Amino acid sequence: MAEYYPKGYKIPLANGSYAEIIQKLGEGGQGVVYRVAIGGKEYALKWYHKGAVQNPKKFYQNLENNVNKGAPTKAFLWPLYLTQPVDGSFGYIMELRPKNYREFSDFLLAKVHFQSLSSAVNAALNITNGFRELHRNGFSYQDLNDGNFFIDPTNGDVLICDNDNVAPYGESLGIAGKARYMAPEVVRNLKRPDVMTDRFSLAVVLFRLLFLDHPLEGKRVVEAPCLTEELELKYYGKDPIFIYDPTDDSNRPVRGVHSNAIKFWPLYPQFIQNKFITALSKDAMTGKTTRMTDNDWQLAFTRLRDTIITCPCGSETFINVAGDANCVNCGKKIPKPPVLNCHNHKYGLALFPGVKMYRCHIDKDSDDFTQVIGEVERNPKNPAMWGLRNVSDIVWNVETLDGTLKPIAKGQIAPITAIKAIHFPNSIGIIEYSK
Amino acid sequence: MAGIYENAVKVARRTMTLFFLVDTSGSMDGSKIGTLNSAVEEVIPEIYKLSSDNADAAIKIAVLEFSNGARWITPAPMDAADFRWNHLNADGLTDFGEMCKMLNEKLSRKAFMSDVAGSFAPAIFLLSDGEPTDEYQKELGRLKENNWFKKAIKVAVAIGDDANKDVLAEFTGNKEAVITVHTPEALTKMIRFVSVTASQIGSKSSGVGKGGVDQATNKQNDTIEAIKTTVAEDPVGGVEIANTPVSSENQEDWDW
Ligand SMILES: [Zn+2]
Repeated sequence: MAEYYPKGYKIPLANGSYAEIIQKLGEGGQGVVYRVAIGGKEYALKWYHKGAVQNPKKFYQNLENNVNKGAPTKAFLWPLYLTQPVDGSFGYIMELRPKNYREFSDFLLAKVHFQSLSSAVNAALNITNGFRELHRNGFSYQDLNDGNFFIDPTNGDVLICDNDNVAPYGESLGIAGKARYMAPEVVRNLKRPDVMTDRFSLAVVLFRLLFLDHPLEGKRVVEAPCLTEELELKYYGKDPIFIYDPTDDSNRPVRGVHSNAIKFWPLYPQFIQNKFITALSKDAMTGKTTRMTDNDWQLAFTRLRDTIITCPCGSETFINVAGDANCVNCGKKIPKPPVLNCHNHKYGLALFPGVKMYRCHIDKDSDDFTQVIGEVERNPKNPAMWGLRNVSDIVWNVETLDGTLKPIAKGQIAPITAIKAIHFPNSIGIIEYSK
Repeated sequence: MAGIYENAVKVARRTMTLFFLVDTSGSMDGSKIGTLNSAVEEVIPEIYKLSSDNADAAIKIAVLEFSNGARWITPAPMDAADFRWNHLNADGLTDFGEMCKMLNEKLSRKAFMSDVAGSFAPAIFLLSDGEPTDEYQKELGRLKENNWFKKAIKVAVAIGDDANKDVLAEFTGNKEAVITVHTPEALTKMIRFVSVTASQIGSKSSGVGKGGVDQATNKQNDTIEAIKTTVAEDPVGGVEIANTPVSSENQEDWDW
């Protein structure tokens, strides 16, 4: 029975200063989150319930280690300072979450919706990148679930929280995650969470993010009147079946129950569906084949974002780099626009007004999907004419249809119909027109 | 222009029903039933919040009172959002067996456990201060054969020393799932704590990382574990669990 700290109560920090309680913000199974002030600036304090942590000393040391190492990217609400152990427990300080970020579970509960297709795809890209950087920094997350993310519905920006469970490779904090999100071998207690099991959890989270249902919960799970602990062990551990497993249709989504999966899965291009089919195949789930890497996902979602355009109906939709497509909203046929083929088909960027070109498209050694390099615009005098504007400091050499090279510097625009290829410092982008 | 995600609906959630089985016999009259009424009323908003923020399951509430016979206060499990606690009055005998019989009838997919998206096993919270006055053994025996009951999280609170803790332990299947409270403060706290904890554990996908290989976890044990930890650290006292030292020396306060 938690007792709460009153306003004005001062909690000493490990660095000698103190955090003054302003108000309680929320409470979870592990502890309470307070708004606090440290030296005039406001932060969040997560304070653990007594006894909530299995091995407090190890947990505290791990937090200390994470504070010292620092956040992998700015997407993490990372522990900034530790408190001293007082009153039989301890806590840590992190930044406050800005109000425009909403809990992932609010999306699942339809309290909030992604404003557009690109905000959903951006969220997938941001979550993937966060975990890629976390893993690259030698950490594993261990307890990935729908409670770990805050997402801005307007643009898909992501904040990853609960980073107190993050530990270096090989370390296990004895975290007991939720069966629905944990890798089958963790559910079965064959293994402790690590990077490989994070990869499975990431696939589940990404599926839930885009399709708003659970990848292992279809017909057979609904047909079980009572989901007992034994059945959870079976469905998430010993015998998981992906609802869109092409080799086994025994667990397909049920009309009227799994409405989101039924609605959103068919809207996504085949190559994205295939990534989930691979990541959630029986072989990948049982560990017979390796799991999709964070890199694979990041590339897949970057490529997916390359294909998002705005239909004349006002809705965003995917184009098909191999042919025509239909708008996900109005159903009208969308002829294939010119596509910039980058790095020998690693990326295919739809050259359609509003689409942005990123560093990864022009630099073969980069996977930066955030730095904008160019933008497709309509000619204000003739909206049927589209041009590609260079917004970077790098000068491009545009090869025109007649074979001449024209330099395009920052701020300049090349009309798309005149471009055959663009020569970047270490790569060439080739324009492909529909036949 | 609205995006296609505007069409997304709330994910399919299972249902977890929290049952309150309340002894409203004559001995409960006065501060016992009064405290109980206020405590349950106060915890309902917390249960509602747990349910509305929960992507795993929705929590529903069902209430069965027993004295002379037994009566469902809720004709069917109700969404925590719509549920209002009607203060119960205490009068009459303790027809424990009748309560078991009526609970058994409703723990069925044809009755209360009928959600199309499926259910988690229920959480059953029994509150009593006395001794069965009917021949309860046969009905309790039948109830214990019910699979929903077997899988349920079962916790009983014995209010004061006159409660027959053996019967309550028989009901929960575990001595440690019987908590004795000696003061109104302790009753209030335990109603809140057990309702919230059992709802939290019961309505979430089960925890992993404990026990042996391919061994399912047990939500009942997880709940008991959580209650024991809390009682052991509780500074106020007036609460007692089998095999756990009484948490307070302050026992002259016992007013029941
Ligand atoms: Zn359209």
